Amino acid sequence: MDYSNRRQNILVQFLPAIADWFITAFLLAVATALSSFFFAIMDNPTSNIALIYILAVFLIARFTTGYRFGLCASLFGVVCVNFLFTYPFFELDFTLTGYPITFVAMFTISGITSALTSNMKVQAKLLSERDKMLMEADKEKMRANLLRAISHDLRTPLTSIIGSSTVYLEHGTHLTDKEKNDLVLHILEDSNWLLNMVENLLSVTRINNETAKVNKSLEPVEEVLSEAVIRLRKRLPKAQIQVRVPDDVLMVPMDAVLIEQVLINLIENAVVHSGSTEPVECHVEDGPSEITFRVRDHGIGIPAEKLSTIFDGSSSTTSTSTDGRKGMGIGLSICKTIITAHGGTIKAVNHAAGAEFYFTLPKEDSNIDT
Amino acid sequence: MTHKISILLVEDEKNICDFISTSLSAQNYRVTATHSGKEALPIITSQCPDLILLDLGLPDMDGMEIIRQVRTWASIPIIVISARTQEQEKVKALDLGADDYLTKPIGTSELLARIRTALRHSNRLNTGSLLYKRPFHAKDLTIDFEKHQVILAGKEIHLTQIEFKIISLLAQNSGRVMTYDTIISNIWGPYADDDNSILRVNMAHIRRKLEQNPAEPQYIFTEIGIGYRMVEDEMH
Repeated sequence: MDYSNRRQNILVQFLPAIADWFITAFLLAVATALSSFFFAIMDNPTSNIALIYILAVFLIARFTTGYRFGLCASLFGVVCVNFLFTYPFFELDFTLTGYPITFVAMFTISGITSALTSNMKVQAKLLSERDKMLMEADKEKMRANLLRAISHDLRTPLTSIIGSSTVYLEHGTHLTDKEKNDLVLHILEDSNWLLNMVENLLSVTRINNETAKVNKSLEPVEEVLSEAVIRLRKRLPKAQIQVRVPDDVLMVPMDAVLIEQVLINLIENAVVHSGSTEPVECHVEDGPSEITFRVRDHGIGIPAEKLSTIFDGSSSTTSTSTDGRKGMGIGLSICKTIITAHGGTIKAVNHAAGAEFYFTLPKEDSNIDT
Repeated sequence: MTHKISILLVEDEKNICDFISTSLSAQNYRVTATHSGKEALPIITSQCPDLILLDLGLPDMDGMEIIRQVRTWASIPIIVISARTQEQEKVKALDLGADDYLTKPIGTSELLARIRTALRHSNRLNTGSLLYKRPFHAKDLTIDFEKHQVILAGKEIHLTQIEFKIISLLAQNSGRVMTYDTIISNIWGPYADDDNSILRVNMAHIRRKLEQNPAEPQYIFTEIGIGYRMVEDEMH
């Protein structure tokens, strides 16, 4: 085990070096071949030949790691030029006029190029590492924010549930029937709210952690939309919702359970927060490359300063929210997560008389799971 | 005194057990509750309950195993109870022979409706009643199986052969969920393609003929990831 591990380490260490040696040998071979060619057809090819070797040395320094390959190559080039292509042929003579200049120039070029490229590679590595760290930090921050928002959002209804049931049990004898009924009703409301929250959180686990992608299959949009509306009506029987779908049958790749959750969140948000009793309009539009779901209410709209951060998940915990419990912070941020994982976009806008949330789903998908 | 219908409840959560028992007893069912799958099997064999409510997430054994074992010798209706996100599990249970499923949290009215439907379908099997010949009727919709006629608010609706087959199958099992696979193998035969999009498209066409607003169906409901459920027959 230990031995094979070590062997693997050695392999890992030397494999790139082997590849680098290959690159060096290959480029030098090409350079030599080209030089021979020039040497055969030209009268005074020395300068061209030197240039070709300089080019080869430059490329070797660029595409290998460390200084040694470039330096070896320049040494080889210098000797080659001297030995093969300058008079006297097949003899080394370093006393030729100007030759030391070629020699020094080739070494300098290879040295500087190697230094520059190694530096570049180190820089790139540092940059990518910093990017990674920033992303990790971002993720951590998001996670912490989400947890904070969740605990805040969960604690409030739980407090109410525990409070109501304690009152019922301890002071039940002094309460009127109506008071008792109200207490139980509050418990029911709060637990329903909690359940929806938990389902929201659970739905996120369907998104692949590694790739942030979902399992898509072709679903008719009307089925998803109708199921969302039916489930929401069970919970909010008084909700006024108008639903409309195109006449054509639209089959769109998606994770239906997740999109249903998004629709429920958006419609519930519109019903609860618009402050209007007019029906919430919910319709689907067919486009050339994507379809758009729109949820529109005729209420108070969204404050302009919140429009940009409404999907961040923190809006419910800010002090501007008067009613923290019913804040849709987590719900909306989960919508965003789900839609992004589908490769779509989600937006909130104000229209003349209220707010509109819409999201798109791409129609074509290369990795459909059937 | 009339014979009370007996229901066996297999559920490990005591609180859930209690509230289901209470609400069923109030409806004049005789409820036996057990907290483990190992206890459930001998009770089923010895007492032969009229219906089994089975939680799929039992601590001691897989609920699927209970369905499999019961189905080797009895057609007692089984309604499984499971969480919402586990579609695969529900489909598996239904394909193994469970009659229907309930999603946690369970509403009492839904629970009672499902139990009634399941009992009705099992009675029909036992007595061989004429229901398969009698037309289906719900709200404005009448389906006459013998005449191959579908009438909506007095007007005959034209359906293709396949569409009529699908809607008949759903109507004969009204109130119960039918999985995509069950429908496909019933309509297109057992060797049909696994891809259910042909069924989904057919269903979309049926819905455009039957429903005023396909996005707010009155007759055929979708159970996402599982199958379809036709509204309950009103003439039982």
